[in-house]
Amino acid sequence: MAESLFSGEFLALAGAAIAALAGIGSAIGVGVAGEAAAGVVSEDPNKFGQVLLMQALPGTQGIYGLLIAFLVMVKVGLLGGTGMIDLTMIQGAGIFAASLPIGLVGIFSGIAQGKAAAAGIMLVGKKPSELAKGMLFAAMVETYAVLALLVSFLMLNSIQV
Amino acid sequence: MAVIEMQKLTVIGLNSGRTPFIHELMHLGVVEINSQEGVVNDEEWMSDIFRTSNSADVSRLEADISRVSTALEAINRYDKGKKPLFHTREEIGRGKFTDYMNRTKTETEMNVETAVMSYKQIADGQNEINRLKGIIAGLRPWESMDLPLQTKETKYSVVILGTVNIKTKFEELLQAVLGKAPSAVVQQVSADVQQIYISIICLKEERDQAFEALREFAFNPVSFTEHYGPPREVMKQYETQIEEIQQGINEKEALLAELSGAKKQIEFLYDSLSMHRDRAKIVGNMLSTEMVFYFDGWMPKKAQPEVEALLKEFEFYYEINEPESDEEIPVCLQNGGFSTPFEAVTNMYSLPSRHDIDPTKILAPFYFIFFGLMLSDAAYGIIITVACWILLKKFKLEGMTYRMIKMFSFCGISTFFWGVIFGGWFGDFFTVAGKTLFNVDFVIKPIWFDPLSEPMKLLIFSLILGGIHLFVGMGIRAYMYIKEGHPLDALLDIGLWYILLIGLVLFGLGSSVGPAMVTVGKGMSIVGAAGILLTGGRSKKGILGKVTGGLGSLYGITSYLSDVLSYSRLLALGLATGVVAKVINTLGSLAGGGLKGAIVLLIAFVVGTIFNIAINALGAFVHSCRLQYVEFFGKFYTGGGRPFVPFERKTKYIKILK
Repeated sequence: MAESLFSGEFLALAGAAIAALAGIGSAIGVGVAGEAAAGVVSEDPNKFGQVLLMQALPGTQGIYGLLIAFLVMVKVGLLGGTGMIDLTMIQGAGIFAASLPIGLVGIFSGIAQGKAAAAGIMLVGKKPSELAKGMLFAAMVETYAVLALLVSFLMLNSIQV
Repeated sequence: MAVIEMQKLTVIGLNSGRTPFIHELMHLGVVEINSQEGVVNDEEWMSDIFRTSNSADVSRLEADISRVSTALEAINRYDKGKKPLFHTREEIGRGKFTDYMNRTKTETEMNVETAVMSYKQIADGQNEINRLKGIIAGLRPWESMDLPLQTKETKYSVVILGTVNIKTKFEELLQAVLGKAPSAVVQQVSADVQQIYISIICLKEERDQAFEALREFAFNPVSFTEHYGPPREVMKQYETQIEEIQQGINEKEALLAELSGAKKQIEFLYDSLSMHRDRAKIVGNMLSTEMVFYFDGWMPKKAQPEVEALLKEFEFYYEINEPESDEEIPVCLQNGGFSTPFEAVTNMYSLPSRHDIDPTKILAPFYFIFFGLMLSDAAYGIIITVACWILLKKFKLEGMTYRMIKMFSFCGISTFFWGVIFGGWFGDFFTVAGKTLFNVDFVIKPIWFDPLSEPMKLLIFSLILGGIHLFVGMGIRAYMYIKEGHPLDALLDIGLWYILLIGLVLFGLGSSVGPAMVTVGKGMSIVGAAGILLTGGRSKKGILGKVTGGLGSLYGITSYLSDVLSYSRLLALGLATGVVAKVINTLGSLAGGGLKGAIVLLIAFVVGTIFNIAINALGAFVHSCRLQYVEFFGKFYTGGGRPFVPFERKTKYIKILK
């Protein structure tokens, strides 16, 4: 049992799963932003397009997570049709470690970005002309998800299988 | 660069010519009129000069406008016609518009009246329906009772109706009432989740006893004095009434739907009224005496001939002055050709203040490159450009929307370019499709390299681009220092940083070129760092201040590091587009070959591509903006300029041609 748990294949798949967990952050973030958006639209339905744009911003973490999960699956041969290739424990652990940054940072930055986006939506509710600034505030948070994506990607890319 | 030069205009004219003059000034639409609030404070003048205000006129017009806008709201709600994607203004000549208004005004006003009345009647009707529905809901529990609701008593007996909580045991209540008032007939009429509805009939003299018994059960008496007849009939009556009202509402709604044919005239009326209002309002910004009026304001230098011609025609006195150095001048941007649409980016941040230069021309090429690099898919680029181009052709867009769409049409070209460079055509769609459907190996080769297999190369390229962007920003700062007459600041605050940063890069990476480079880099770094350490605190007072100032400046190197690293998003977002496209294509290919496989692939492709373009174009837009606003503007730009708001036709539905 323990052997199969620490096999390279399992560790690699666990890594893909953890990367995909970044979606938790996006789900919460988009949810929080959506609540704020609904509030603004209830006052002025014409702002729907603007606030929808803002609501979409915290959604990217989930995509980044999916991206790394997908790359892991391609790397271990799950999506190529050839079947999963054999991995040593070291390789599996490497892939697992590579997946951690986007998985963890994705969750927390998604939540934080959701809050910033919600505040930005409130801003748009009061001053529609300030949409760009509201977006920028949310995008400042996303920087760290982008950096985590980059770290995950570069680590993953350097693991030889 | 391209902040339009402004001039100050001062005019004194005869009151008799004021109204036609304001008309013509609005037609020109190039002069901003300053508010004269608080200008005349001198006691001596106060008695003769007054701020003309026709607030009565203005508020009358405001009321008219709000009526017309209610009419439009009413008509729009019941207008079944398709709404266009973008709101555009209809173009019309000046004479034609006046003609049209004269011809249709009476009829249009009648239509407005009808629309507003109908809208109000619909709202009233709906309120009435809600009220009746509330009454019906209140009567429903008593539906099975045959007694007319208005019956409170007969000669010898009284009728008591009321409710108790659902948790009350009816048996106990019955016994308690019978114990006190033996003549009572207690009936449970109905019950719902909260309450039991009870009717009690007893002799008049036992009434108080019955109530006494009921009190212990928290009995809540109800009465229906305003209704006549048994509940069932009363409800039926009200239902018929609701139907009648509903019919009335339907008729009014049909009427409003019919009025949508006259919508255009009403919109014209709206604009005509709001122009009228603006003309009345602007008079409040002028000063008057018995005979003359005065105003001052701003106009672009290039508008001088037409304004002068107008003033000469009216024979008004005027002065045109260059702005004084400490005055706040309204800002209007004008850039040529390629950079015009990128004014949207500058606008969204903040207009340049008096001491800034217009950054649009410089940020335009960078924005163009960054956006493309972050999306980097040739096919997506074509789609974006073509879609924007169609929008531009189909709709007569204006202002900010026009600039944005135009900007995206440019950015699409950049996206196409980078896509070709990195070999992205719908991600790897053609490879996947070739393999799954036709079993052929078909690869579109990138012109430069494939970022998915050589990400480090693109990362370094991104950081170099970022370095250039930052250096340009710092260069502008230096240019501004020199222009303001502080060349020493330019040298010490920017020049030394140039030396230090270039030195560090050479020191770190120069070894690949030659060992001499490393030495040069080392020397430059030391010179730069020492210079910054010594001069960074030069504006501070005291030795301690100078030392900490120098250290603080040198510590600023961390911000350069984070600034440069920030450009790694160019790579990350570019990868995101490519990989998401790949995910879509892979998902599509899972169904295998054959017709079924082709259909699955096509569906996944279409849905996925739309999703990918939408989400990643948004990302590219936001992050290109961020790189400009935070990293680039941080180096030299403050913003905070006041936009130039000329007195012009601010119309919503029509555009009167000049």
